[in-house]
Amino acid sequence: MHKILFLILFISVSAVAQKQMTPDEATALKTKVKTRAEAITTVMSDFTQYKHLDFLSDDIVSQGQLAFKAPNLVKWQYTKPFAYSVLFKNETLYINDDGNKSNMDVGSNKIFKQLNQLITASIRGDMFDDNEFNIKYFKINDSSLVYFLPKDEQFAKFIKAFHLSFNANGDVTEVKMIEPSDDYTQIKFTDRVVNKTLSDAVFTQ
Amino acid sequence: MRSLLSSLCLFLWVGCASYPAKNGFEPRTESSQELQNPYFSNPEKDYVYKAKIDAFNKSFGGIFIVKKLGPEHHRIAFTTEIGNTIFDFTFKENDFVVNRILKELDKKVLINILKRDFKALIQEQSQVKNQFNVNSHTVLQSDILSKKHYFYYKKGQLNRIARVDRNQKKVEFFFSNIDDQFAKEIEIAHYNFKLHITLKSFK
Repeated sequence: MHKILFLILFISVSAVAQKQMTPDEATALKTKVKTRAEAITTVMSDFTQYKHLDFLSDDIVSQGQLAFKAPNLVKWQYTKPFAYSVLFKNETLYINDDGNKSNMDVGSNKIFKQLNQLITASIRGDMFDDNEFNIKYFKINDSSLVYFLPKDEQFAKFIKAFHLSFNANGDVTEVKMIEPSDDYTQIKFTDRVVNKTLSDAVFTQ
Repeated sequence: MRSLLSSLCLFLWVGCASYPAKNGFEPRTESSQELQNPYFSNPEKDYVYKAKIDAFNKSFGGIFIVKKLGPEHHRIAFTTEIGNTIFDFTFKENDFVVNRILKELDKKVLINILKRDFKALIQEQSQVKNQFNVNSHTVLQSDILSKKHYFYYKKGQLNRIARVDRNQKKVEFFFSNIDDQFAKEIEIAHYNFKLHITLKSFK
């Protein structure tokens, strides 16, 4: 009985914790994030990635650093538990898998192109494209949570939804990519440094 | 001429000889041993490997995941490092289900290759058809999906499986860096086409 009461209490607290925004609040968030995104030239951040597969006992955890330079240079560098980096540059994906280097031309691949644009946009937080997504806005205390549901059917077969969390300043703190099976990848950013000079050498394979 | 004939005969004999004969297997007379593959048998454990796949002159990596969900029931998934699922299969008794596969890879031929490889990798027990000794190994032969598989054991520990078709070695599975009943490194080598998979555990 206690358990049921606790569960009801927990559900009601959760329901209170995540509230849908009013249209005015959503507009205010969009403006705040866009203004902030436009002022961003570089981002350096640590990240922790949790790959959740429903059938596993534990999430697969990996860690690394993210580097971004406007307009579209992105490098994800995994350092733990394996060494792996992926660099998006000039419509090419440059991979360094523990010293084994390879690249992939993604210019002709629509899904990869979209994914690349989304990754870039999600780092800056500026994903508010009503043509591409059905967007839902929520607030949790003083932070925000936005659901982006891809309208493109092909893309939706790949990723069903992106959930982006923003802190009170309008910075992205978390990205969750949810697959059609409801398995997901959650990336939490920590120690984010914005607009520090980053040399092009950072963006090499 | 005579030696040419003899070498031709020898070549033909070796070429057509059975896999056990070609590899100098001796029939095993000791008491029969059970065929056991313990490497994906613990339902408590998430088996997570960094994978490197060399296929048709292309090389790519990812995360290879195996989970035992019950008796004769396994789930096998492969994702990119960033986490997108490339494929996700269920093996349950004799059933095989494709839960998900990237559209670009959704080819019957490829799925069949993966199904055969993974079935051999996870099958825990199988009926022994023949038994042999070679060097310091005990070799047990069994059929998996109607193909002959030879399981090599050294001091009771499985370290290799060879799939043989028409007396030719087609695929080999090597298990190394073994800790108790956990193979931290696995290699799957195909010999009739360019496909090589290397798995290294990181969890």
